[in-house]
Amino acid sequence: MRLRAFLLPGAVLLFVLGLPLVPFDARVYVMQELTLLFLYAGLAQSYDLVGGTLGYINLGHIVFFGLGAYTVGILFNVGVPLAAGLLAAIAVAAAFAAVVSIPFFRLRGAYFSLATFALVKLMEQIANNLRGLTGGSSGLKILAENRVVPTYYAMFGLLIVAVVTTLAINRSRLGLGMKSIREDEAVARDFGVPTMRIKAQALMISSAFPAVLGGLFVWYINFINPAEVFGLKMALQPVAMAMLGGSGLAIGPLLGSTFLYGLEEFIWTRFEHLHGAMLGLIVVLVGLFMPGGLARLRPVERLLERLGLKEDDQ
Amino acid sequence: MDIQSVLQLVINGILGGGVYALAALGLALIFGVSGVLNLAHGEFLMLCGFVTFLGYDRLGINPFLLVFLIPPVFFALGYGFERILIRPLALRKEHVRLASATLVTLGAALIFEDVASFASAGTEFDKSIGYFIGSLTVGSVVLPSLKLIIFGLVLLLMAQLAWFLKYTYVGLAVQAVTQNARGAQLSGVNTATINGVAFGLGTFLAAAAGALEVIHSSVSPLVGLPLTLKYLCIIVMGGLGSFAGVALGGLIIGLSESIVGYFTPAWGQTVAYLLLVGVLLVRPKGLLGR
Repeated sequence: MRLRAFLLPGAVLLFVLGLPLVPFDARVYVMQELTLLFLYAGLAQSYDLVGGTLGYINLGHIVFFGLGAYTVGILFNVGVPLAAGLLAAIAVAAAFAAVVSIPFFRLRGAYFSLATFALVKLMEQIANNLRGLTGGSSGLKILAENRVVPTYYAMFGLLIVAVVTTLAINRSRLGLGMKSIREDEAVARDFGVPTMRIKAQALMISSAFPAVLGGLFVWYINFINPAEVFGLKMALQPVAMAMLGGSGLAIGPLLGSTFLYGLEEFIWTRFEHLHGAMLGLIVVLVGLFMPGGLARLRPVERLLERLGLKEDDQ
Repeated sequence: MDIQSVLQLVINGILGGGVYALAALGLALIFGVSGVLNLAHGEFLMLCGFVTFLGYDRLGINPFLLVFLIPPVFFALGYGFERILIRPLALRKEHVRLASATLVTLGAALIFEDVASFASAGTEFDKSIGYFIGSLTVGSVVLPSLKLIIFGLVLLLMAQLAWFLKYTYVGLAVQAVTQNARGAQLSGVNTATINGVAFGLGTFLAAAAGALEVIHSSVSPLVGLPLTLKYLCIIVMGGLGSFAGVALGGLIIGLSESIVGYFTPAWGQTVAYLLLVGVLLVRPKGLLGR
């Protein structure tokens, strides 16, 4: 990688790291927005490990987010420190991923998407019904002080880890196996690729990120309820972001989440009504006319090349 | 708990399951032919429920007449939906096509939902036709005649669908494309048209279910996505590609919701998804899947 490849990421890094040091009230708003953007970008990036590299559209990615949020929230309330809670969240999510991968990865293509989508609703209902543990539909409250700056840094750090993980996996043997499954699973299996093991590994790795993000989310917001962390819109948003940006490329989910989140903010502030419809229209147009997402559009590709950020697209 | 209440629960479950199965059949038809996961399916149900409500509320037309008048219009809507939004994706690589179709139908679902919410601002949110017909009493069992009529209509529509699929050229072509699209194409079936027809038919079934739903229950602008999800459950549980499986799945979910919901209301809605995961663990291809 040449030096100029570090120019844009470096500038972004400096801006993000330096922002909390700016002594203006205005930055609070920007930081809140960025925190949520990092959250969505992290979700989209980790979704894309399974959705883009492995080629299985996992509409239930948000399940791990909710699991992480509830694990950390419940443990926090009995006095477990955050770091231990986050580790527990990763363990819970990875264990859950390992268990569900056995029945679910026997399903192919859209069948898999259907079943994982149903999982979201199942988890929402279970969280609603286990009142003793989760507080049911009235939600779970934790007592914590103002955590704006630490959450901001933590979510940003996690996003960077997610991007680096994606890049590393794309170059690894595991990534090669995942891509071979995406292109033709039957052929991959016949050539000796251990498909079931690779799929389970991919899901487990991709589950760790939403679990930690969920834990940080509850720590930041101090309140969660099933309708929010297992909501259908919440489930579909990261998927839409990853596809919009360019599934299968490390830069794709980043571009997609920034674009969609920015657009959403723009629509919310400019128009009074029909925000959802406008957003829906954009999503439809992207699906119709940009099969490869933003990152594979000619002008964007050329720009990325000039910045030295273009990846091998296989 | 006496025999009367048990019967009542079973009857309610079967009747509810019938309407589920009708709409789920539509989704299964679309999925079988095109391989597309139509996330906007429930929105057509909601939309038709709305139109039926307006026809009854504003124009005073008998709702059962509307059940026959409005859903055919939705056939055209579904056909157009496929023509404009799904057909352009046909030539993409398999996993790209799946992703694009997910985006397109999701976006369409968001549009429908938001426009319907916007249109119903200032009016009551849950649209419902409070249609009333006296109940029948057979022995000691009270039968809700309204639900019986609706169930009869569901059976009629399903029988018609079965006849259509079995005895008409287009119906046979739909089955052929479901089994093997390439083979059907090689035998001279115009798969592009059949895709459109499947979307039209599927949307028609969803619309019919929506009209029936608004007569005996209620429809709100937000029911679309959750309902789509429930139909997906039914299809996967019954076995993709098996229409009998879809009917069975609808029945199981209707019955379990009614019975479990009676004892523990909170778990009534959960049981569908629990059952789905259970079924998938034992039979990954669904109950009647091959």
